[in-house]
Amino acid sequence: MTSITTLIILIILYVSLHFLIAIYAYKRYKSGRSIVSNSLVYSLSITIYCTSWTYYGSVGRAATNGLDFVTIYLGPSLTAFTWWFILRKIVRISKDNNITSIADFLSSRYSKSQFLGALITLIAVLGIIPYIALQLKAVSTTFGIICNHPSFDIPPALRASFAFKNPGLFFSLFISIFGILFGARTLATQDRHEGLVAAIAFESIVKLLAFMAVGIYVTYFLFDGFQDIFTRMSVEQPALFNQLTTLSENHEPGYASWATNLFLAMGSIMLLPRQFQIMVIENSDEAHIKDAMWRFPAYLFAINIFVLPIAYAGILLSGGNKGADFFVLTIPMNAGHNWLALLAFLGGFSAAAGMVIAESVATSTMILNHLMIPLVLRLKITESFPALLLTLKRMSIFLVVLLGYAYFKIIGDTFMLVNIGLISFSAAAQLAPALLGALYWKRGNVAGAIAGILGGFIVWFYTLLLPSFIKSGWIATDLLDKGLFGLSMLKPTELFGLTGLGMWSNSLFWSMLFNIGGYLLFSILLEHNESGREQSLKFTEAFSNEPRQDLWETKRLSKPVTIIEFVNLMENFIGEKEAHAAISEYLAEHEIDEKGMVSEFELPSLKRFVEKTIAGSVGSAAAKAIIENYLSDVGSQMESFYDAFKSVRSSLEESREALYVRLKSSEIMNRSNDLQLIIKELADLLSAEFRFDLITVRLFEPDGSLTVCYEKSQLPGGVSQPNRIHPEDDFFLHELLLSRRPQFANDTRNLKKQGASAATPLDAFSAFAHIPIVGDEEPLGVLSIYSVSIVGMFTEELLNLLSSLAGQLALAVKLVDEREAREKEKNAKDVALLKNAAVMHEMEIAKQIQMSLLPEAPPVLPGVQIASLSVAADHVGGDYYDFFVTDDRIIDTVIADVSGHNVGAALIMVETRSVLRAQINTSSSPARVLTNLNTLLMSDLSRAELFISMFYVKYDTFTQWLTYSSAGHNNPVLYRISDAECMTLDAEGMILGVKNDVIFEDRSILLDPGDILLLYTDGLTETVNSEEEMFGIERLSTILKELHEEPLQSIIDTVYREVINFAEGRALADDISIVAMRVEHSFFDQED
Amino acid sequence: MKPDRLKHSFLDRLRLKESWVIFFILGIIMLDYPFLHIFNKHILIFSFPLLFIYIFGGWSLSILVIYLFTKSIHTGSDIKERNELS
Repeated sequence: MTSITTLIILIILYVSLHFLIAIYAYKRYKSGRSIVSNSLVYSLSITIYCTSWTYYGSVGRAATNGLDFVTIYLGPSLTAFTWWFILRKIVRISKDNNITSIADFLSSRYSKSQFLGALITLIAVLGIIPYIALQLKAVSTTFGIICNHPSFDIPPALRASFAFKNPGLFFSLFISIFGILFGARTLATQDRHEGLVAAIAFESIVKLLAFMAVGIYVTYFLFDGFQDIFTRMSVEQPALFNQLTTLSENHEPGYASWATNLFLAMGSIMLLPRQFQIMVIENSDEAHIKDAMWRFPAYLFAINIFVLPIAYAGILLSGGNKGADFFVLTIPMNAGHNWLALLAFLGGFSAAAGMVIAESVATSTMILNHLMIPLVLRLKITESFPALLLTLKRMSIFLVVLLGYAYFKIIGDTFMLVNIGLISFSAAAQLAPALLGALYWKRGNVAGAIAGILGGFIVWFYTLLLPSFIKSGWIATDLLDKGLFGLSMLKPTELFGLTGLGMWSNSLFWSMLFNIGGYLLFSILLEHNESGREQSLKFTEAFSNEPRQDLWETKRLSKPVTIIEFVNLMENFIGEKEAHAAISEYLAEHEIDEKGMVSEFELPSLKRFVEKTIAGSVGSAAAKAIIENYLSDVGSQMESFYDAFKSVRSSLEESREALYVRLKSSEIMNRSNDLQLIIKELADLLSAEFRFDLITVRLFEPDGSLTVCYEKSQLPGGVSQPNRIHPEDDFFLHELLLSRRPQFANDTRNLKKQGASAATPLDAFSAFAHIPIVGDEEPLGVLSIYSVSIVGMFTEELLNLLSSLAGQLALAVKLVDEREAREKEKNAKDVALLKNAAVMHEMEIAKQIQMSLLPEAPPVLPGVQIASLSVAADHVGGDYYDFFVTDDRIIDTVIADVSGHNVGAALIMVETRSVLRAQINTSSSPARVLTNLNTLLMSDLSRAELFISMFYVKYDTFTQWLTYSSAGHNNPVLYRISDAECMTLDAEGMILGVKNDVIFEDRSILLDPGDILLLYTDGLTETVNSEEEMFGIERLSTILKELHEEPLQSIIDTVYREVINFAEGRALADDISIVAMRVEHSFFDQED
Repeated sequence: MKPDRLKHSFLDRLRLKESWVIFFILGIIMLDYPFLHIFNKHILIFSFPLLFIYIFGGWSLSILVIYLFTKSIHTGSDIKERNELS
């Protein structure tokens, strides 16, 4: 049959199976194909809530107290309703903040308080030790039960051996080693422990199957089902049956203890260290919570459905409820089913093992992060930090299990299993108010949390833990019976005279009263501190959809720390590779400037990132302490900027002052065109609002230097600054021109001398800023602000404001320049227009004068026919022709063209006509006339710098002799009827007005009747067509030849029309004048 | 179509945070003194103790309700995805 060897081997095999499963799961995790990261394993792992207390203790309680064992499972089922909101929020926050445990969660929320973390750790340790002892006791006892069964044949030597007598010790060893191997592999606690979780899930399956196997066996094989058991029970043990199936108001269990247990269980499912570890920290995906919400209660239901049958079966079979705690084991054993009994034993073993492993790992993390690390930091031990921490963590696992073992050995037997469990639940419940406040009450602060938890803890200690020692015989019972100092008011189990509630309800009531009361009172009385407020918002708004971001950084590091220095710090705690990976991830999302440095405004966020990364290994309170220590070592600290904006503002809006300044500056820019005035008013505005010690506005000169355009100083005695400098004279101005960005320093003490600083006297000022005045193109100047005594004045917000003002100023400068240019252009245009008009007017007058000179109609004289035509061009040309008749037989014709186009020229023509008229009366030859004209007009012509071309013709109608003379004029065309050809008349003579002694030639020619003489000005022949061809004499001659028979006027008109056509629609460039003369039959000729 | 739409709107109702709070409080009430007292009688129904039936029956019902809720979370996110895509 089964022997002890089988048992031992079975146990060893089963233990090895744990290791195998854990190793396999760990390998799969590392290779990326995890078997643990799914919702089924997640749900199963949560059932670690069911320990040997569930396995054995439920039956025990069902058999002795009745139905109220089920509250321990109904509570969590109720709580599961809330998981989608509460648990998910906790998971979200924990992942975002690298939370390592429940103590870390609460400590982080409440101002990252080290004290709070330590307090919670202490409570957790004190609370959990009894619970661990409970598990060890269960394993020991059941091992003993099995071994003592007659069918196991155990040699006496073995029976007396140490190992045999102390199974609990071996169990503890196994647990510790397993926990260290799979729970404390590395320091980085944000790594999940997949091996551990796999083993726990496996155990959950085993314990469910084992229990259900026993349950089915008992219900359907030993009896005939549920109804059979209930019926027999009501028949054979009616009193007990009634008691066990109802709640009584008079003695335990009553409604009070029902409600108390329910409440305690509701809290414990989330607050026990192992639960937090498994549900929150080991969670790999928020979506898994969804399925766990119904799977977990379903598991609880399944494992509880057979509790009542087994309990009653045990009572029926053994006649009473003695030893009911272990009915699960004893019933199959007594029925002879050893294998089933072994299975039941392994089930209980699994239930116990899982709990202790998880609890020891979770608690050791808390001990390390909240008790040991602060101590290590205080002792300033910094060498081989990671190795030291890892060793400490592993030691803690041993410590926790060992303490549990000690408790078990010393106290265990004197208290029933189930009571020990409730003590732990009550301890865990003290964290409930602080947790709920952490998630949903912004005002809950560290003072409230500490007050509440401390108060609740003290009450719990006094009302539960102390009595447990008393009842075990460690302390005299006087305290219990008579109260502290003999005051019955202070009886631990009936505090302040509250009787009738029972120990648990009493404890719960008072501890919650002091806990919640203290939390509310101190949270309302006191305010958050800096980090408390920040953390409070981070936690309570973890689900809000808008990414909450501060518009402006409100803190600065008083002394800058480089990226390298931060990386070195991180390496100490998380290792070189991880540190480098983390910093790369950070830098990928943040900008670094051209020097590879992080900007001053980025430093605080970098510091927070480093702190959070380190917190993943050591918890947030320790990380905070580490960073603070480090910064104080390098002489830097986080301090607030000097708040130039005095009014309080919400972080999402610009301050009132900034808006006011913007408004006023817009008004200033638009109010006037005077640049100097604008600059002055702007500087005055800034000076008044922000009390800068010195404001200097410099503008660029065309030669590239900067001259001071305006200076506003609040300093007594003023400041001597050079009026004109070149950008190269100052390092910062040079940088500013290169980068087009503001150059500033919040603390000149931190600056190394970097070359010339003509515009930045570093010794005189503590902080300064140079803001480029630049629009889209080249910089126009620099706005410089100096502060003598205030460090840390130039926040990002202030610099942004100043930059935008400088931009507006640049725009104003540009606008003023443009306006001036436009004015100038307009004036020039006006002047030109006026000039043009004046010219046009003058020309108009000249034209009028000119037109008045011409004869109205050609004279009528027998023997000759005369026609004339004169068309003035737009621009006055100055043509003139006239006719003089003497003795009724001689006609003098003159045609002339003056060179100018103005009133002066026109007046000269008037004078010429007068002179000519005077000449006519003496019968001179044409040449004589021209000579006289030249002489008389010479001085006037030369003064006016004008010239006249003229052609003078004298025709005697009696003799038919034509005499002519030319003063540089176009040669007239003569058509001779005798050879039907045209010829030109030419005579020597220079144009009038050039020089005094000019010889004019007289020429004569005898005309025949029908001859046509055409006098014209150069406007006729010099008209050009579109090919720049001139009309020319040839064309004129051709027309004359063709039309020599036509009436004279029509010849002239035709010629004119031809010229116009020739010009192809373009305007005449010069006047056209034509005088035509045709010889008629002689006076004396008779028609023969 | 109609049963599907009914189911949809029912599940939609379930998604409301308020529904959850209501169920939770209802659960607490039904597990405590007033209701408990009603069922706290020495009565056997088909040989099952009354309280036993009340508690285990109610328990399974609540598990069913949670199950339906988790289904509705799923449809909720589906609807949201469909709305975003369209």
